[in-house]
Amino acid sequence: MPETTTLLAMFEGLEPSAEGVDKLQQLGVNDDDMNIISGVPIKHTILGRPPAITYVSRIGLFGAILGMFLGIFFIYGIPYLYPLLVGGQPIFPVPQGFIITFEMTMLGLMGFSFIGLFVDSGFPSYTPKQYTPEISDGKIGVLFSCPASEREKFIDALKEAGAESIEPVEARHL
Amino acid sequence: MTTAAKPLARRHAEEHEDPRQYLMHDPLPRGQMNDMAMEAMHETNPIFWIVTAILAAIVVFSLGYEWYILIMQGQGTAGVLRPDYWGVFLVNTVFWIGISHAGTFISAILRVLKIESRRPFTRAAELMTTFGLVQAGLSIFMHLGRVWLVYWMFPIPNERRIWPDFHSPLMWDLMAITTYLLCSTMYLFLPLIPDLAMARDRTAGGWLKQFYKILALGFRGTEGEWKNLTTAMNIFAFAIIPVMFSVHTIVSWDFAMASRPGWSSTVFGPYFVIGALHSGMAAVAIVLFLLRSTMKHYKYFIRAEQLNTIGTLMLLVSMAWAYFYFNDYLVPWYGGDVWDKLVQEYTEKGPLAYLWYTMLIVNIAVPWATLWNRKWRETPWLLAIVGFLINVGMYLERYIIIPVGVTINRMPFTWRQYEPRIEIPMTIGTFALFLLLYMLASRIIPLIPVWEVQEGQEAHLIRKVGKAEVSTLSDLE
Repeated sequence: MPETTTLLAMFEGLEPSAEGVDKLQQLGVNDDDMNIISGVPIKHTILGRPPAITYVSRIGLFGAILGMFLGIFFIYGIPYLYPLLVGGQPIFPVPQGFIITFEMTMLGLMGFSFIGLFVDSGFPSYTPKQYTPEISDGKIGVLFSCPASEREKFIDALKEAGAESIEPVEARHL
Repeated sequence: MTTAAKPLARRHAEEHEDPRQYLMHDPLPRGQMNDMAMEAMHETNPIFWIVTAILAAIVVFSLGYEWYILIMQGQGTAGVLRPDYWGVFLVNTVFWIGISHAGTFISAILRVLKIESRRPFTRAAELMTTFGLVQAGLSIFMHLGRVWLVYWMFPIPNERRIWPDFHSPLMWDLMAITTYLLCSTMYLFLPLIPDLAMARDRTAGGWLKQFYKILALGFRGTEGEWKNLTTAMNIFAFAIIPVMFSVHTIVSWDFAMASRPGWSSTVFGPYFVIGALHSGMAAVAIVLFLLRSTMKHYKYFIRAEQLNTIGTLMLLVSMAWAYFYFNDYLVPWYGGDVWDKLVQEYTEKGPLAYLWYTMLIVNIAVPWATLWNRKWRETPWLLAIVGFLINVGMYLERYIIIPVGVTINRMPFTWRQYEPRIEIPMTIGTFALFLLLYMLASRIIPLIPVWEVQEGQEAHLIRKVGKAEVSTLSDLE
């Protein structure tokens, strides 16, 4: 397996970034070996990238179902286990059941979506990472791996696309 | 033969509006906007710290010493006696929950509807939600009296061997407010992560660097991170709206579920929700004025268009509030029930009638007389004054519903005029704590969501059509 190197190309603006990604794809870099780092979310179609996969909504849906069952337990399970008769009111009322069930469902949905963000993104993570603070100042970084022997070819292609700098990047503490 | 049948109207100055007056069309480099947001946080004058110290002293006295007195001497130190067991503490609870609705409304509803002028002030409004709910929670605890037994309301085994009755509106309230507090705090945090990462990158060292580093969670802005973050934000934006509606509806059911004259109303749910939005919008207007006046560079971010958006919403919500109030007033009046009539007569002609008239004037007449005019809506101090008056009116509305409402019941021998006592300093304490938390937060977290502003600016274009410059929105999001 040839030795690879990881480079970070910095771009100013969307147009040169899209062209840079295009050049890398033409040079045979797999989409999986490339990552875009930016200070704002960029729609994948703008840069010609495949859509990122997220499990946040599925985790959220799981939370919603869990919350719904917890709500049903609160409103029907607890009166079953510990009946509290109040003025002839029913022990298992249907309309009131909607209220607690709704609140718990929504809490489950949002709580698990929040947790899903952590799980899916690997947050919190304080280990060293390939990053430069220029990203949060509006620059767009294209992080990619290429064969070390062909490094110059990639640098030339990205410069042609409008990259401001292309440098090997080392993981650093954020 | 003439070429024009009628003389043409003179050109109006407004026809030549420069699109660059709008924040989305007046972009600055991201680095510069970051600098502005950081400078606004860190450049503080001595007056700020003097005000902070005064507020902290008020909080210590009101919520420390006075609450200690209330706990040690019991609820007798408050003005609550039969029949007015529900007094100012619950007025405060409803009021602060109302204030908290603005954050969700501004952030979630305007986000869902893609109203672009929302971008620079969503976080300022979201902070109001979290800090407002803190005050609401504290106010309920004050009302509880034996606050250390609050865990009896949670479904955990306890020495009474009785579990909470989830059929009670008070338990619905607990569940709804807890859900809303947790979810709105998470919703505040989500869009804050990229700005915390920005602050982390721009802070050299010290405890603040560690603070930002921990809270930024290691965020870099990779495709996957953004996808997860925006997905979570979308889920929250849609899901928190019905929760917001449910919270104040359930708060209204605390009253409406009782078969008490003046309270047992089917329109109370939406009436309370619109009332909450009325006070919340007005509070946002005050906050925008204060931020614009006191924070460096905020005049760039908070412009006439933002004030106009809030002013227009205040006017619309005021009209909706008047509509619901009239509904709530007319039906009992027409019904002619003797107890309902007594409540209405007491409200309109009793010793506290001036509260009712003031409420109507500041909640309806003042906003309608001022906010129809765009120039006035865009005048920061005027908008803030109207906002302040609306909040006075909404506080009075809650006062009329709760302690004044419970005065007139079906047992005339218990009628008694409620007079707040220790409640007054403790109420001042909640206002002081709200301001204190807000001021301290403004020094630690960027109140401007810089990445959202940049995202909006990138999506907006000015296109020349004929001789006019037209604003267009591209599909970048």
